[in-house]
Amino acid sequence: MERTQELLVNMGPQHPSTHGVLRLMVKLDGEQVTWCEPDIGYLHRCFEKLSEQKTYPQVIPFTDRTDYLAALLNEMCYVEAVEKLFGDAIVVPERAQYIRVMMAELQRITSHLLALGSMAMDLGAVTPFLYCWRDREKIYSLFERITGGRMLYNYLRIGGVRNDLPEGIIGTPQDGEDKADKTIWGFINYFDAYVYPQWKELVTGNRIFQYRTQKIGVLTAEQAIAYAASGAVLRGSGVKWDLRKNLPYSIYDRLEFDIPVGKNGDCFDRWWVRQEEMFQSSRIVKQCLAWLAENPGPVMAKVPRVLKPPKGEIYHRIEGARGEVACYVVSDGGTNPYKVKWRSPAFTHLQLMPLLCPGHKVADIIAILGSIDVVLGEVDR
Amino acid sequence: MDFLKERFPEAQFETHVNGDTEVLVPAERYEEAVRACYDAGFTYCSCVTAIDWQDRLTLVTSLARINPEEVGVPNLHIKVDLPRQGARIWSIANLYPGANWHERETYDMYGIRFDGHPNHRRILLPDNWQGGHPLLKDFTDRRPKRPRLVRHRFAE
Repeated sequence: MERTQELLVNMGPQHPSTHGVLRLMVKLDGEQVTWCEPDIGYLHRCFEKLSEQKTYPQVIPFTDRTDYLAALLNEMCYVEAVEKLFGDAIVVPERAQYIRVMMAELQRITSHLLALGSMAMDLGAVTPFLYCWRDREKIYSLFERITGGRMLYNYLRIGGVRNDLPEGIIGTPQDGEDKADKTIWGFINYFDAYVYPQWKELVTGNRIFQYRTQKIGVLTAEQAIAYAASGAVLRGSGVKWDLRKNLPYSIYDRLEFDIPVGKNGDCFDRWWVRQEEMFQSSRIVKQCLAWLAENPGPVMAKVPRVLKPPKGEIYHRIEGARGEVACYVVSDGGTNPYKVKWRSPAFTHLQLMPLLCPGHKVADIIAILGSIDVVLGEVDR
Repeated sequence: MDFLKERFPEAQFETHVNGDTEVLVPAERYEEAVRACYDAGFTYCSCVTAIDWQDRLTLVTSLARINPEEVGVPNLHIKVDLPRQGARIWSIANLYPGANWHERETYDMYGIRFDGHPNHRRILLPDNWQGGHPLLKDFTDRRPKRPRLVRHRFAE
């Protein structure tokens, strides 16, 4: 018997291009996608329940493991939230703030590099992925010297950072590419001179890549706000909204940087915004380095041995690598948080899949998924 | 937050350390409060979650205003007290599509039902999960204990 019908296809949970364990249920009419529904929860590790049973500092390592590609940004969100709960009791030293911001921006570069590299690889370009790995490696070896960890750091503390930068890691502005994995200045110079132009020429200017991403998965500005998109997804749709500028936290109001904004809201614009953001991050790192080289000082505030924030609650939002990372901490005056809620951007962004996919071809799902850049550890927590 | 103060003169207002405003409204006026915020430009639903106070549940809806020209607009948290058993509330997922999954997660973890939700299912836990709602404070894992793995002995 011959007949035509819609075909239900499961992409994942073991599909290599779904960035972890994500299952996309897709209905196909030939090559056309008519319906798409993500199924999540394969990586659920009870972060919120666990953190109710730990003391405040003990939660920091868990926050690393939510978005494991941008661990320092998550730590920063949680640590700042708890510090705000204390009010004036904890004053974080300025040097610690600068170290945090510098580390966060370096982390943003690593995260964006991987986002770009894996998206290019999913679209069939394997070489950029290897380049991204090579350049990330240099930052990771710097991180290893500073924090002791390569991926999951547990470096930020409530009241500051664990240790000051090691001797000689800042380097001098003259450091060239040969010192890219030895000093931070070396990496930044290497990044500006080689990495950033290379990505522009190798992938962004590539005709095939542009055909695969332009006018695919178009998200209008109204839709982006209604669907609570943030980060590169929101800015790719043309909304100039960055929490570092619009709701300044830490020391971001003293730093100079621009917010790249896309026009059409398609996959290519989201890609382009990420690429430009890396360049802005390198600008921020330079300003922090200049300040850090001249201002030695303590990196840890005086904090009590047992942390007991006063009763209260806080919803602290920061600009993570993927968008708005927010942490809702409720304190009942005890040593453990009464409740920790993690608002992760990737979880919110995955809701866009049923909106963006229908009408496109199967191969475009991969482009859309790569451009909204989900990390499943953060989706499922 | 004057537009809410005019409308809800008897509601409790509180300010967080970082400047966010929270307002506690009665459950039957939740829809009215959310719509008032929506009309005032708070069109971005940052988060929906709940807190288990052991004698009641508190639903927290965090709304934000996305306006590139404004700097430092604090969030608005609308709170509703609900009973621990059989809590029901109007769903905002049709007004804020971005709240869809957050409401599903709140149902999954706290058991609050959302009336009018387009896809009211569990999200992180499996659909056939029978063990209750894990983020409630009195949650106990009632699954049978898993047998300890016996270490394999090599032949001597």
